[in-house]
Amino acid sequence: MAPARPSAWRTASGQIGRVLRIASRDWFALAGTLIYLALILVAIFADRIATHDPSEILYTGRYRIARNLPMSWDHLLGTTHGGRDIFSQLVYGSRSAVVVGLTAAFCVAAIGTLLGLLSGFFRGWVDTVVMRLADVVLGLPFLPFVIVLAALTRPGTATIVFSVAVLLWPNTARVIRSQVLTVRERAFVEAARVTGCSTWRILFVHVAPSILPLSFLYGSIAVGWAILTEASASFLGFGDPSVISWGGMLQDAYASQAMGRGAYNWFIPPGLCIVLVVLAGFFISRGYEEILFPKLRS
Amino acid sequence: MGYVGQRLIQAVFVLWVVATLCFLMFRLMPGDPTLNYIDTSMTEEQRQNMLVAFGLDQPLYVQYLIYLKNLLRGELGNSFLQGRPVLELVLEALPLTVALTLSALIVAYIFGVIAGAFLAWKRGSLTEGVAIPLVLATRAAPEFWLGMILLAIFAFGYGWFPSGGAASAGAEYGSEWERLFSLDFLYHLLLPALALAVYLQGLPLLLMRSTMLEVMQDEFVTMARMKGLSEWTIVIRHAARNALLPVATAFALGIGGSVGGNVVVETVFSWPGLGRMLVTAVQGSDYPLAQGAFLIIAAVLVLMNLVADLLYGWLDPRVSHGRKG
Amino acid sequence: MEDLLSIRDLTVRYRTSQGPVHAVDSASFSVPRGEVVGLVGESGCGKTTVARAVMGVVPRTADILGGPVLFEGRDLIRLSERERRALRWKEMAFIPQTAMNALDPVYRVGRQIEEVLVERGGRSRSQARARAEELFALVGIDARRLDDYPHQFSGGMKQRASIAMALALEPKLVLADEPVTALDVIVQRQVLDVLKELQARLRLSVVLVTHDISVVAYACDRVVVMYAGRVVESGRVGDVLERPRHPYTMGLNNAFPDLERAAGELVPIEGSPPNLLDPPKGCRFAPRCPFAEARCVAEEPPLRTEVDGHAAACWRSDEAAALRPLAGEAATWRR
Repeated sequence: MAPARPSAWRTASGQIGRVLRIASRDWFALAGTLIYLALILVAIFADRIATHDPSEILYTGRYRIARNLPMSWDHLLGTTHGGRDIFSQLVYGSRSAVVVGLTAAFCVAAIGTLLGLLSGFFRGWVDTVVMRLADVVLGLPFLPFVIVLAALTRPGTATIVFSVAVLLWPNTARVIRSQVLTVRERAFVEAARVTGCSTWRILFVHVAPSILPLSFLYGSIAVGWAILTEASASFLGFGDPSVISWGGMLQDAYASQAMGRGAYNWFIPPGLCIVLVVLAGFFISRGYEEILFPKLRS
Repeated sequence: MGYVGQRLIQAVFVLWVVATLCFLMFRLMPGDPTLNYIDTSMTEEQRQNMLVAFGLDQPLYVQYLIYLKNLLRGELGNSFLQGRPVLELVLEALPLTVALTLSALIVAYIFGVIAGAFLAWKRGSLTEGVAIPLVLATRAAPEFWLGMILLAIFAFGYGWFPSGGAASAGAEYGSEWERLFSLDFLYHLLLPALALAVYLQGLPLLLMRSTMLEVMQDEFVTMARMKGLSEWTIVIRHAARNALLPVATAFALGIGGSVGGNVVVETVFSWPGLGRMLVTAVQGSDYPLAQGAFLIIAAVLVLMNLVADLLYGWLDPRVSHGRKG
Repeated sequence: MEDLLSIRDLTVRYRTSQGPVHAVDSASFSVPRGEVVGLVGESGCGKTTVARAVMGVVPRTADILGGPVLFEGRDLIRLSERERRALRWKEMAFIPQTAMNALDPVYRVGRQIEEVLVERGGRSRSQARARAEELFALVGIDARRLDDYPHQFSGGMKQRASIAMALALEPKLVLADEPVTALDVIVQRQVLDVLKELQARLRLSVVLVTHDISVVAYACDRVVVMYAGRVVESGRVGDVLERPRHPYTMGLNNAFPDLERAAGELVPIEGSPPNLLDPPKGCRFAPRCPFAEARCVAEEPPLRTEVDGHAAACWRSDEAAALRPLAGEAATWRR
């Protein structure tokens, strides 16, 4: 990483530009970025892409619910047992995936970066407290914690995002911390200290920019985890019932015996969408890791 | 000894904090804590007796001390729905979860280690180019979805396996051991274990591959080559033995992680283990049982984190044998 | 007597993303039986690659070209991998750099020595153990330390253990890659003494790769000086170090303190070796050479053998006697 001199933040924005340019060089990162782009586009234009209202119960005739219809031009992926259009549900499910993925990733990266920065920079008791806290969090079983929290407060997206953020920050914080420990010894931090910069100024102007790419990397991994967690929680019935999500669709399919009827058109597509989006997160982090931090691999 | 002692103290500390968190979560959530704790179908007199027995009429710190004391004695209260001691129920479910977790992990790790070593061997090849994204995809797939596919194909489609549960209706066994090693049990275990194994094999596979690649660059592997040792000796005795260090640690961590993570697989296959117990308890507002199941899952996780640390030290002489030089 | 090892026009080419790099370019020299040959030069000059190429163990990205590399009259380059493997450790062994992680960290040192005795030497477990104890006695380590793990050894002990390991199957040739570089001066002396004593006693031929001319002066019979992948000078140590015929050797002589005497005034050779992706057309040392002429830049000088097997690749080697006093002055090298 380039040593940050007068305008460290400009260097940082340059690094983010580099991060984006990497996508064009690494096949994995490119595929991942394209999937993310497609997901965001579908989420934005969901109302145009969807062929039906996803929560509307459809009828084939008077009082006859359009249950379990096979795939057709009218219903691209058929209908659910409750008579709803599967394709449209799939399209709208992308919105919840985007919301959960991005907010959780942002929270994880923000908490992890902040705590990692503080503990690596100030060391001493701050470091001890943060690292012991990380130990405790790693001692909390992930999904059970989400379930219990969802049950005791109220089931819904916010609870899931909150628990993902609370449980996933330690990995980010640990990596950021060790990076800060090396950065703070570098000459430019020393120079800043000698010239009388305040501690906070050194921390946020001189140290923080050089660890931003790492936050970005761990944020992109968190996107996948958040979506998987949301899916699992929804599947177990702890999601927000008013929001259409892929996990919720799978729960609906499971509860309505879709497997027994061999309704692959119902339970395969939502799972595939989850795989694709989570995979995109893996691909991106993998590609960036390889280029930004070659010493971590190779 | 200092290392082991330090780790032990840390584990006990984490357990204590988790137990405290659990206390706070279950008592301080919105609503009347006594309503969370006490069955609504009780008579007023029963309710009062219950309150006194659990110290719920006392100030919070006293309640906390009573809670800790009860925990240490293994007293986790009674389940609302089943009316039996929580500890008893939890200890009944634990072996089933452990059986599922261990069988899946063992299959996953044997496969993952071999396939990972193979892919390290084949690096840069087409096989690798296809296999790596495929493995990543299994890591990205929700476990319950893999379970649903397996169910649809093998249980409902072909009818080869049962669609859920851990025993056929009416099956009775003399002892728990007899049950766990009966054919009927294995027959029920196969699909859920397979679903879990498909999900779990990615980690050891990728880990084995990357550490193998790293170790193969090490000077001692080059030296083994210079000594004219056979390729087999080099790969197995030197490269793989070194690469196994982190994989073994991951295995121990995997036990802890998947006892909790089994929640969804157990639900899909109606496997009567701890995870499913937690879900049904939470859904049925059976708070004592939910808290007990949560605590045991957390305890297994902390214990396995500890085992992983100790195992690493034991396998790596650089940690277990001090410096004399 | 016929030389044990005779290298002719050995070239090692690395495939890199920027194009082929000739780490060793038509190197030629010989190793007589029972002598220690120092292979000296700056880091990156190809000396380590030569030693590894003789063992036949080079990275996947490297190709060994040219030759022949004759070992007891057989061309190593033409041998199949199987035949080469049969020679390794039994006929020729390797002592790695101390700093490198040359011992497997998860096995006891003794077990690693026994491994090669059992697998390659065909000995039984107990015979191997006895031999390992013997070898440790030979290099001066207490036999009880056989049961230690590598990380429990000091740097000097690791290096002695590596020597013991190299001698396990009584090879004729030992290639030592910077065997004492990472050690402090006193331990360097001890390890070199062990190596020299065993070499004399067992009538070994040794190729000693080093960047340190004082190690050559202390331990070698002959010396081969390499620069940027090529051999620039070779001959008996006395001849080469006292009457160098190549300006690079003269410069090296200035740049190192002697093992025997205290560090006097050191004169560095300014500049850095050429980029091997695109080496200069003429003499590779010409850009740094204070005595370079027009011809040096235009045309590459061949390695010419003169009196007593003393060879140099310099157009002005005939004037060496006149250049030597100039080369001793710091001002000559400054620019």
